[in-house]
Amino acid sequence: MKVRYALAGAMLASATMIGGSAYAADLIAVITPSHDNPFFKAEAEGAEAKAKQLGYDVISLVHDDDANKQSELIDTAIARGAKAIILDNAGADATVAAVKKAKEAGIPSFLIDREINASGIALAQIVSNNYQGAQLGGQEFVKLMGEKGNFVELVGKESDTNAGIRSKGYHDVIDEYPDMKIVSRQSANWDQQQAFQKMESILQANPNIKGVISGNDTMAMGAEAALKAAGRSDIIVVGFDGSNDVRDSIEQGGIKATVLQPAYREAQLAVEQADAYVKTKTAPKSEKQLMDCLLITPSNAAKLETFELKP
Amino acid sequence: MRWVACAALLLVAVALTSCRFIATADVPALANAAAGHGPAPFDPDQSVASIWGPKVIPYFEKKAGLFPQVRELAAKSPGEAGAKFGYRAKSEGTPWTLMVKIDGIVVAANTESRAATIDVDVSGQGKADAVVQIGPAIRGTAIRDALDFVSFNDFTNQIDFAQFGKAFNTHVYHETLEKLARESLIGRKVSVLGAYPFVSTADKPLVTPVDITIGPKP
Repeated sequence: MKVRYALAGAMLASATMIGGSAYAADLIAVITPSHDNPFFKAEAEGAEAKAKQLGYDVISLVHDDDANKQSELIDTAIARGAKAIILDNAGADATVAAVKKAKEAGIPSFLIDREINASGIALAQIVSNNYQGAQLGGQEFVKLMGEKGNFVELVGKESDTNAGIRSKGYHDVIDEYPDMKIVSRQSANWDQQQAFQKMESILQANPNIKGVISGNDTMAMGAEAALKAAGRSDIIVVGFDGSNDVRDSIEQGGIKATVLQPAYREAQLAVEQADAYVKTKTAPKSEKQLMDCLLITPSNAAKLETFELKP
Repeated sequence: MRWVACAALLLVAVALTSCRFIATADVPALANAAAGHGPAPFDPDQSVASIWGPKVIPYFEKKAGLFPQVRELAAKSPGEAGAKFGYRAKSEGTPWTLMVKIDGIVVAANTESRAATIDVDVSGQGKADAVVQIGPAIRGTAIRDALDFVSFNDFTNQIDFAQFGKAFNTHVYHETLEKLARESLIGRKVSVLGAYPFVSTADKPLVTPVDITIGPKP
């Protein structure tokens, strides 16, 4: 578990002004999956940067996709007297109770990236428009495949709604093409190493494949590495997230495309909404908020940096 | 829950002498069923069928503007065009979905792909001003996204919301698009009531119809 404390300079200054009395800035807790995945690192950093800019102290914690650990971290946030929790959660069903617990303790939660299967408990659920994004990725994949051939799908963690919605977005496009044939569909739990191993064994059983569509970028990186190691750089790989790693791979002719989620902005927006609530008790107009995704190909990859497209 | 509500309404309807089940169905009630608050599982096709005639078509007829007018205003001020002829959910990074009435001539047809489209010339210059999807594969969720009475908040999760979006496309295909001629379309008159997401003036509008009529050659 990583715990970081930060006291903004401005707050120190104002503490001095009120005569050196004991004073601490309001605290915001940022809880995400492991920062091993650059996507979660970027959103945690986006949230931290915005919170510090707005004068908050920040604790940044990781739940490693473990719902029990997440529950403990929520307890920590409550015990520390956090004013708001920014949460990328550890499971659409398992998280409902944890967010409810925070709410009952008077601490509002602002969810990012992943939904929970309940409304009216969190104040905000800001998520990428994964269906729209997956349709973009699916359309590009079909185009790259020439509308035909055998392919593999790597799916994310089952407890995460995003795994299902991206798969649905892909299939709603790909299944319209009768000559596109899926030969294997497996979960690699969003994980690069698992994707590498799965890809190795899938390739042994199905050497006659032409493409791999992946539910996220870390799995796409794992698959790409396995294909490269097997001398099969001819196989088309498409990812989802818009990480700098995949950007570099696209620019070097490895992975062919990905879908950018505006993760950094989503995290910042969540903190802005938390700040509005802390300061003026104004809740976001709509709890569930979708942000559209963008297709990344060799034509615009150079503009991509830390989950944002530079102008 | 839906059936219980309908039964209750039927009783009322007997007294009122006319029962229009479909007019009483509303999206939040259906979404409640989807959220597991009622015995009925979420049936996106049924939900769409129940609101299509009573709510969706009248809403489009009321809000849609003539295509040249909408396009001109959108180029000048997307916000104004959106407020007048469209809708968007109140969240950052969501484009306006604009509703239009198109009258023009088919100048090209891509019916090889399952995501079939026709190019429509509205200004009379012989060039495509809009691209209209005629299916069976229909991209995007423009019909759902145009409706101000549909909110993501009313759905359990993105999956249900996406299925609801796709159900509109399936519905319009079976209702109208399936019956369209697929051959010798070029040169024919076409009238479309539909919606498109406004991204930028550089992109040709990709319109999803809720109603379409393809007439003879003029």
